[in-house]
Amino acid sequence: MARYGILVDLKRCTGCMTCVIACKQENLTRPNIWWNKVLELESETLDRIIYFRYACMHCDDPPCVESCPEQAIYKRQDGIVLIDHEKCKGHGDCIKACPYGVIDINPDEDYFRGQKAPYGETEDPHRKHPPGKSSICTLCVHRIELGKEPACVEGCPSRAMIFGDLDDPNSPIHKKLPKSEQFLKSEGTNPKVFYLVPRDLSKQIERRIVENPTMGR
Amino acid sequence: MDLETNSGDRAVFSREQAKTTRAEEEEIGYTFCDACNEVPFCGIKFFKKSEVVTRIESWPGYPNSPLCSKGYATLQRLYHPNRLKYPMKRTNPKGSSDPGYVRISWDEAYDMIVGHLNRIKKEHGPHSVFFYVGDPKEPRAAVQRLAATYGSVNYGCESSTACRRAAQLAELLTYGFPTTGNLPTEETKVMLIWGTNPAYSGQPFMCFRHLAEAKERGVKFIVVDPRKTPTAETLADIHLQPRPATTAALAAGMMHVIFKEGMQDRAFCDKWIHGIDELKEYVKGFTPEKVEKITWVPAKKIIDAARHYATRSPGGLMAGAQGTTHDLNATNNHRAILMVPAICGYIDIPGGITKDTYELEGMKAWADGPPGFSMREKMHEMKAHRLDFKVFPAWVEELWEVQTNYLVDWIKEGRVKAFLGWGFNMMIWPQTHEYQKAIESLEFSMAVDYFYRPWTHDFVDLVLPAAMNYERLAPFAFHGRQVFGRTPIKPLGECKEDWQIALDIGVRLGHPEVFFNGNVEDACNDILKMWNLSYEDLRKNQEKGVSIPPKGPELYKKYEKGLMRMDGKPGFKTPSGKIEAVSLALKKHGYPALPEYKDPMEITPEYPLILISGSRIPYITHSKWREDSPWLLELQRDPLLTIHPEDAAKRRIHRGDDVILKSPWGQIRVKAKPTIMARAGVVGIMHGWSKANVNELIPRQFDPISGFPPYKEVPCEVVKA
Repeated sequence: MARYGILVDLKRCTGCMTCVIACKQENLTRPNIWWNKVLELESETLDRIIYFRYACMHCDDPPCVESCPEQAIYKRQDGIVLIDHEKCKGHGDCIKACPYGVIDINPDEDYFRGQKAPYGETEDPHRKHPPGKSSICTLCVHRIELGKEPACVEGCPSRAMIFGDLDDPNSPIHKKLPKSEQFLKSEGTNPKVFYLVPRDLSKQIERRIVENPTMGR
Repeated sequence: MDLETNSGDRAVFSREQAKTTRAEEEEIGYTFCDACNEVPFCGIKFFKKSEVVTRIESWPGYPNSPLCSKGYATLQRLYHPNRLKYPMKRTNPKGSSDPGYVRISWDEAYDMIVGHLNRIKKEHGPHSVFFYVGDPKEPRAAVQRLAATYGSVNYGCESSTACRRAAQLAELLTYGFPTTGNLPTEETKVMLIWGTNPAYSGQPFMCFRHLAEAKERGVKFIVVDPRKTPTAETLADIHLQPRPATTAALAAGMMHVIFKEGMQDRAFCDKWIHGIDELKEYVKGFTPEKVEKITWVPAKKIIDAARHYATRSPGGLMAGAQGTTHDLNATNNHRAILMVPAICGYIDIPGGITKDTYELEGMKAWADGPPGFSMREKMHEMKAHRLDFKVFPAWVEELWEVQTNYLVDWIKEGRVKAFLGWGFNMMIWPQTHEYQKAIESLEFSMAVDYFYRPWTHDFVDLVLPAAMNYERLAPFAFHGRQVFGRTPIKPLGECKEDWQIALDIGVRLGHPEVFFNGNVEDACNDILKMWNLSYEDLRKNQEKGVSIPPKGPELYKKYEKGLMRMDGKPGFKTPSGKIEAVSLALKKHGYPALPEYKDPMEITPEYPLILISGSRIPYITHSKWREDSPWLLELQRDPLLTIHPEDAAKRRIHRGDDVILKSPWGQIRVKAKPTIMARAGVVGIMHGWSKANVNELIPRQFDPISGFPPYKEVPCEVVKA
């Protein structure tokens, strides 16, 4: 069984937001819900600006799963963490449990004020986001099942992201793992999104994630 | 990549569902993205169910891919409820607070246009009608044909107002061919990226990954940009952050070092550069120490950059299409940049600045229009009637589009009576309100657009709804020698594509044969027939496109072989036949003939900062994409002023504070974003916010050669609101 993950090369990320909107277009998430987040990080001491993309880490030991009183969150055999909207009651315990701050509750809002855009009138389950329920990145499992990469990975113009089976010794992602790091490793969740980080900026990036700022600039 | 579907009843998505909702019910289509106003475009593959586009992706294998955030957002824009869907005319007199637009039929709209055009031609002559194409560039060829057939030489566009043409003029005057440089090749050892941020502006076309790959294989990068852009941050070995509008001094400083240390390509300089001795003499005065004072770039960095660049042959260049030409010394500033690779001999060699040997026959860039179809010959014959004929003589010699910045004056003088604009945007002009008033005072004006944009449409008589990229057939795309077509869906409401509107007007003016009886595909075929193709051939080869083979392999040092000039003689296509450090054309018209430095506007105690506008944000183009797509608007709702943390601290300004940005010519209210992206002493803001139009802070003063306004030069101050 594969164990899926993403590696992000921050030396290539320019903060262009394509992953954010590629995801919007693919999954049609509701207003102010961003499954991909891209933040700017400025280090005045190092005189350096970097950008980093993060999203649900699809942790191997996901605290959100344990936190849910309805047992609505589960990890598949391939390691992808999903929310069962039938069971989710929107209590929000998962939001508190997630150290990465990537879970939100779907608002009862549409982009065109009550009007559904025609492309949203679809039966595609991955494009349905019931209001009041928790919402996280699905790693585009619907695409993976068709043999495609997640929309954010495919969309990245800088090719800063690699998607693949972390356990497959022949996969391009596996080969880059030794040099990579995980953020907030001390939380013990074993996140499956890995990073190549320029210089010594990991601690500052972690602080920025914990601040959990809104993404709009 | 195959995996078992998830265990049991908890499957959210099953493979079966996925298959039925995707492959079986969907049809596939292809189009191009017009989001950043580039032609050629990026490719979009779309999926539709009963004429509704449901999702999109990058066109696989297409030369320009992948899409950026704006490209993906074209899907949301397509179905925006605010789209214009019907022709509308104003019912209240000009100057009313509400123009009172009402829906009319296309027949009424066309009758109105043709009525005015025929009357004005009789009363004032055809040249008093100004034809204009802004954003997107797609309608240019059709509108050019319309202007020429109607008989007006006065056609202009955003390129000839504020974008590409000043740099292009500098290139033509200096090299004799247009170039913004090239991506690095396997041969390239060092890149000079000057005044452009390819990580965001995609020139040429989301090319950043190629630069990142070049970096990984050891190419050195010198980036010149006042701001700490992602390009500088991820690529630069040496980052020079000059004071805006001092470009020619910085280039002179680099050349000073190169000549002084004998690092120039002597053989190339002696044989192929006209005025090399005058140039050497001129830059003698620009010692690194002196240049540091002018440009604020440390002398040591100037020396380092010059050595880095001149000793690693071959070196490449990526210069901005317009970033270095937004000041009162635009043309000569840009000419100065071009001289740096020239004295190193990096011209038309592998890995350097090259010119395609076999451009597609009969075609220029779409931004220019194919000369035959666009009736360039006829435009040349009418040259003496150009509004800019006397004001910008060097420009008029090299460029056939009218420089539009004097429009206000020409309207006041009664030389312009009507204005027909496709995708035009009043905010492009400095002191926008003067242009709004001037256009409002015309006898007739119309605009074609996707949305009602009050800052422009409040001042015209007629607004026509344009079909969007998914709904257009024209133009087709070409990249190098590959040609591609598209498969449009039916336009929403009564929208018509730009070409259709131009052809329809032409037909109703009494020229059905010239305008293909209003048939857009026939119009495209009239161009495609140059290569024995038709649109049907493009459909047959939809995803892969059609490649038109070149006559031979790519050649270099074409100036030695007589392949640069029309007359087949060796040399460059300039008056002297050489690269011109001393421009004979500029000399003839009384301009400084060397790429001379000119002091920028002074900063004063009252206005101690310098304002840069026009720098790109990756998810916005000009004033588009704010109201057009809520996905993108959500990323940034307010105009943000980037200011260096020290400059902010001095003014007790914090992140998110409301501030007033003011220059001697105007002021706007914006939000502050202290960031080290801004250079100390220089603040920056994205243009095109209707609620905070930065161009009201820019004076109507222009570079005498190109007529470009000082968008990146004026002194300003920031205070808490």
